[in-house]
Amino acid sequence: MPVAALSARWTQVRARVVGQDDRGANHHWLEIDVPRGFGAPAPGQFVQLLIDPTGSAALLPRPMSVAACRRTGPGLRLGFLYVPVGTGTRALAALGAGASLEVLGPLGHGFPLDQPGTPVLVAGGRGVAPLLFAADALGQAGRRCEFLFGARRRDQLVALAAARAALRRLGGRMHLSTDDGSAGRRGHVVALLEQVAARLEPPLVVHACGPHAMLAAVARWSLARGVPAHLAMESIMACGTGVCRGCPLPRSARARAAYRRAPGPSLFGNEEWAMCCTEGPVFEAAELDWERVE
Amino acid sequence: MSAPRGVDLRVRIGPMALANPVLTASGTFGYGDEYAHVVDVAGLGAVITKTVTLEPRAGNPPRRIAETAGGMLNSIGLENVGLAAFRRDKLPRLRRLDATIVASVGGETPAELERLVAALGRERGIAGFEINFSCPNVARGGARYWAAPRRLERTLARLRPLTRAALIAKLSPDVTSIADLARACEQGGADAVTAVNTFVGMAVDLEQRGSRLGRATGGLSGPAIKPLALARCHEAARAIRIPVIGSGGIMNARDALEFIAVGATAVQVGTASFIHPRAAQDVLEGLREALEARGVRRLLSWRGALSGGPSRPELIPRERRRA
Repeated sequence: MPVAALSARWTQVRARVVGQDDRGANHHWLEIDVPRGFGAPAPGQFVQLLIDPTGSAALLPRPMSVAACRRTGPGLRLGFLYVPVGTGTRALAALGAGASLEVLGPLGHGFPLDQPGTPVLVAGGRGVAPLLFAADALGQAGRRCEFLFGARRRDQLVALAAARAALRRLGGRMHLSTDDGSAGRRGHVVALLEQVAARLEPPLVVHACGPHAMLAAVARWSLARGVPAHLAMESIMACGTGVCRGCPLPRSARARAAYRRAPGPSLFGNEEWAMCCTEGPVFEAAELDWERVE
Repeated sequence: MSAPRGVDLRVRIGPMALANPVLTASGTFGYGDEYAHVVDVAGLGAVITKTVTLEPRAGNPPRRIAETAGGMLNSIGLENVGLAAFRRDKLPRLRRLDATIVASVGGETPAELERLVAALGRERGIAGFEINFSCPNVARGGARYWAAPRRLERTLARLRPLTRAALIAKLSPDVTSIADLARACEQGGADAVTAVNTFVGMAVDLEQRGSRLGRATGGLSGPAIKPLALARCHEAARAIRIPVIGSGGIMNARDALEFIAVGATAVQVGTASFIHPRAAQDVLEGLREALEARGVRRLLSWRGALSGGPSRPELIPRERRRA
């Protein structure tokens, strides 16, 4: 298994909030401007957002997947989709246009979008965030993708309008599923994946993000069918850069054997655990032990 | 070493003459070279490595991190590459950094520590050892095992002949009397004592009805522990003549000065590096500015300088202010 190369070196910079708006079902869309010198993130990569202590009771920065990135004059404008659920994200939701925060990144490595085959993007709920960015990047590369979007209910297909608009521009196709049948196919997004995949000409490459239970299901599906799948994982983190060792994910037996033969750099994990921040957050299905993923 | 212009920040920890008193805390800065692209590691007083054990350790199962009010709990469990890989892969890289390197080592028994210090004790490029007598997150050989003055004293006495490098004993705050442990370390031949490691703490997930960590307890660090750590640091500094290295919730230069004021000779920056990777360097630069602004020419004149007030005894007896 190839060990992913460390991405371009990260930096920590001061950024400015451009604005935030409500995307329904308590989801917020945040845009910030980062100055020149901040590395351009790739789809699937994340950054650490840190609010000044005067504006937040949270001590640690919050890792957040990048949902959009475009150049603005000298710097970059980054978009994020999140739900204010805890101390840090609630403080983030209180930031208005012009507010200042610190950003560290880009971190981890993203989806290998250049792999040959038809990209099939599979989103679960707010896991849609990095896949919006991936769809955009594929479109700019002139590649057509299939976009599968599943959620519990219709209103949790957040940022659906944005995804649709992006796909229209790119000529990709959107497929929906909800657990209650209120939009698209009734049932799990993996059933939808099975249905869509059957109609597509191989080879396919799956890129997915969502709750870990959904990603485990996508991973098992892909391993059973021999379709490569790349899954964007989540973890509680402290540093996001590999030094705190706080975000282990269990390696599969095969990945443990590969690690024994060729250990990674010290910011990666060890034989038993992969570090989500430096080796992920995007993992190939065969790299993790899905029975032990929490 | 020629006296630098401006504030003289030099301190001595046993045989180590450090350019300044700002160190990185073990376990928060990798093995030493990982942050070298954002921090001038050669400019820091010293870099303390992640704790190295005889055999590699995979560390504890998730979850390993839980943020709490003003602090964070960790349950890493001494994950490290082990002695052989440290020696083969890390040490050559650390030598190239031109930084002062202190190797943190941990063991479950005195004999394990002896083997570690014997193996690394004459290695070029290691200026000192910090013996981790205080990990809260391991089943064996952790803080509780080492919270025994006679065991500490005997162990340090066995390590002392194995190296000419500095021997620093890192102590747990969760003890009946840190003064007793600090005195035992001094008796055993330690060059300095680090006060303190993390405090044992818990965080509960009411919805899941369980710990927010993979284990029941973890080690608490960050600003939440600073007042507690200051008190332990002060207690240790009053008890011994060898230097005390203050650690616990130091986020900025003012925090560092507080530790030095209560008797620390040097300080460690830990959790702050998770938030700002450059934190240790920022503390150092801030320290220089803060002392200049106060007209202090020599850091050591600030050490233990905290007055108890006219009606209270001196916090650090005058004869113990100089390390």
